[in-house]
Amino acid sequence: MKNLLYKELRLSVHPTMYIFLAMPLMMLIPNYPYYIIFMYTCLAVYFTFLIGREQNDTFYTATLPIKKTDVVKGRVATVALFELASVLISVPLSAISVKINPGGGNAAGIEPNLAFYGLVFVMMGGFNLIFTTEFYRTGYKLFRPMIFSAIFIFVYIGAAETLAQFWNSPISEFLDRAGIFAEHLPILAAGIIIYAVMTFCAYKISAKRFEKVDL
Amino acid sequence: MTILSVKGLSKSYEKFKLSDVSFELDKGFIMGFIGRNGAGKTTTIKSLLGLVKPDCGEVAMFGKNFYENEIDCKQELGVVMSGVECYQDKKLSAVADVTSRFYKNWDGDAFKNYLKKFSLDENKRIKELSAGMKAKFLLALALSHGAKLLILDEPTSGLDPVSRDELIGIFRELVKDGSRSIFFSTHIITDLEKCADYITYIKDGRILESTDIESFRSGYRAVSGGSNELAPELKEKVIGLREHKFGFEGMIKAADAALFDVETAPISLEEIMIHIERGEQDEEFVI
Repeated sequence: MKNLLYKELRLSVHPTMYIFLAMPLMMLIPNYPYYIIFMYTCLAVYFTFLIGREQNDTFYTATLPIKKTDVVKGRVATVALFELASVLISVPLSAISVKINPGGGNAAGIEPNLAFYGLVFVMMGGFNLIFTTEFYRTGYKLFRPMIFSAIFIFVYIGAAETLAQFWNSPISEFLDRAGIFAEHLPILAAGIIIYAVMTFCAYKISAKRFEKVDL
Repeated sequence: MTILSVKGLSKSYEKFKLSDVSFELDKGFIMGFIGRNGAGKTTTIKSLLGLVKPDCGEVAMFGKNFYENEIDCKQELGVVMSGVECYQDKKLSAVADVTSRFYKNWDGDAFKNYLKKFSLDENKRIKELSAGMKAKFLLALALSHGAKLLILDEPTSGLDPVSRDELIGIFRELVKDGSRSIFFSTHIITDLEKCADYITYIKDGRILESTDIESFRSGYRAVSGGSNELAPELKEKVIGLREHKFGFEGMIKAADAALFDVETAPISLEEIMIHIERGEQDEEFVI
C-alpha cells in the first residue's frame, strides 16, 4: 500500500492538484456556504481521474507486479488521503473563521462546527461511493460519474443547508449553533463512520467492477 | 525449459473473436508474433497478461499458472506496449524511482548502466523521447528488475530503419546468454528475419502456425506456371492465387507441392505473409 500511495502521489496526481489543498483558506471568507470548499475537493478528485486517464495511469499500474484490484485500492486510498488532508487543513481555519466573522455568525450557511464536519464526511463518502463505482465500470469514461456525483453533491448541499439554516426548527438551531462541541460530537462520529463505510464499499464495489474491465 | 505456455486462449468481442490461441516459448529464444493489423496480436498479449479478461484458456509463465501467481510472475516479466504512452510530463528518473519500489530484484546500478548504454538521460521528460528511445527506456526498466521474459507489443513499429535495426540488435544480445526469452509482436517481416528463432502466425484471431522460423519458411513454396498447368486440384491448394494473361502465380504448402508437376521455388517470409493475407480476395479489387 505504501508503494501504491507513493506511485499515486509521485506520478498520478498532477502537481496542480495540490493547489486544491489551499481551498480550505476559503474558510476565512465571512458568511459563506462552507460546503463549497469540499465540493472543490471532490472536483480535484475528478481532475485526478481525468489526468490519470490521459496519462494512461491505469495501464502502467496494471502492468506492475500487483493485483488488478490494487489499481483501485491505490486510487481510493489517494482520494481518501486528499479528502482527509482537506478536512485537517480546514479545521484550524474554521476555528479562526468563527472568531473573525464580523457578523458573529455565518449568515450564508451552516456554522463551521463539528456537526458541519460530520455532514461534510457524509457528503464526501457519498461522492466516493457514486463517483468511483461509476468510473470503474469502464475504467475510462468520466461523464456519467461526474454528472451523477455532481447531482448528488448539489442536492446534498441544498438539503443540508436547508436543514441547518433555512428550516426554522429545533434541529436547525441545534445544527447551526457554534461552540457546542460535546453535543455535536456524535454527529461528527456518525459522519466519520458513514464516510469510512461508504469509502470502503466504494473500494470493494469498484474493485469488483474493475476486475471485469478489459484494458 | 518452457518459459511461456499459452493454451486455448479465447476472447469474444462483438466484432472480433480470439479463438483457441496456443503456443509455447522456450528459455533463451526469441519468438516473433506476426499477423496483419487487426489480426489479434495486441488482444492476445493483453489477454495473456490479464489486462483483458479472457473467456477461457490457460497461461503459464516460468512453469506457474499466471492468473493464480500473477504477482510472482510479473516480478520476472517485462512488458513494453507500444502506443501506450504514460506520464508524458514526468522525468525518466521519477518513473524509474516509482517502478523500482515494486520489484524486489531492482538493480539501480544496472538501470544506470542501461541508460548509459542506450544513451538515455534520466533528467529528460518522457515526451522529449523519440519512439525508439521510449522503447529503450521501457526495456531498461524491464531489464533492471531482472526480467526473464520480455513481452513486447510492436516495439519496432513507428521506428526508422536504423533505430529498428538497433533495437533488434539489442534483442539478440539480450538472449545471447540463454537466460532470457523475448516474445514480440510485429507486422514487419524484416524484424523477424533478423532476430526471431520462432514464429507464431495469427490470422483473424486464430493461430495459423507456431513453429521455428526455418520450418515455417520451408513449409511453403512459390508456385507459378502457364494457364494450362492450373488444374482444378492445384487451384484448390494454391494460397493467394493470382491469375494473369500468361498463367498464374501463388504459394503452395511444401507438402502439397510434391503432388503436382509444377514449377516451385523457395519463398521469402514477406511473400509468405502476403500470400496468406491475400487469400482469394485480391482479384476483387478492380480499379
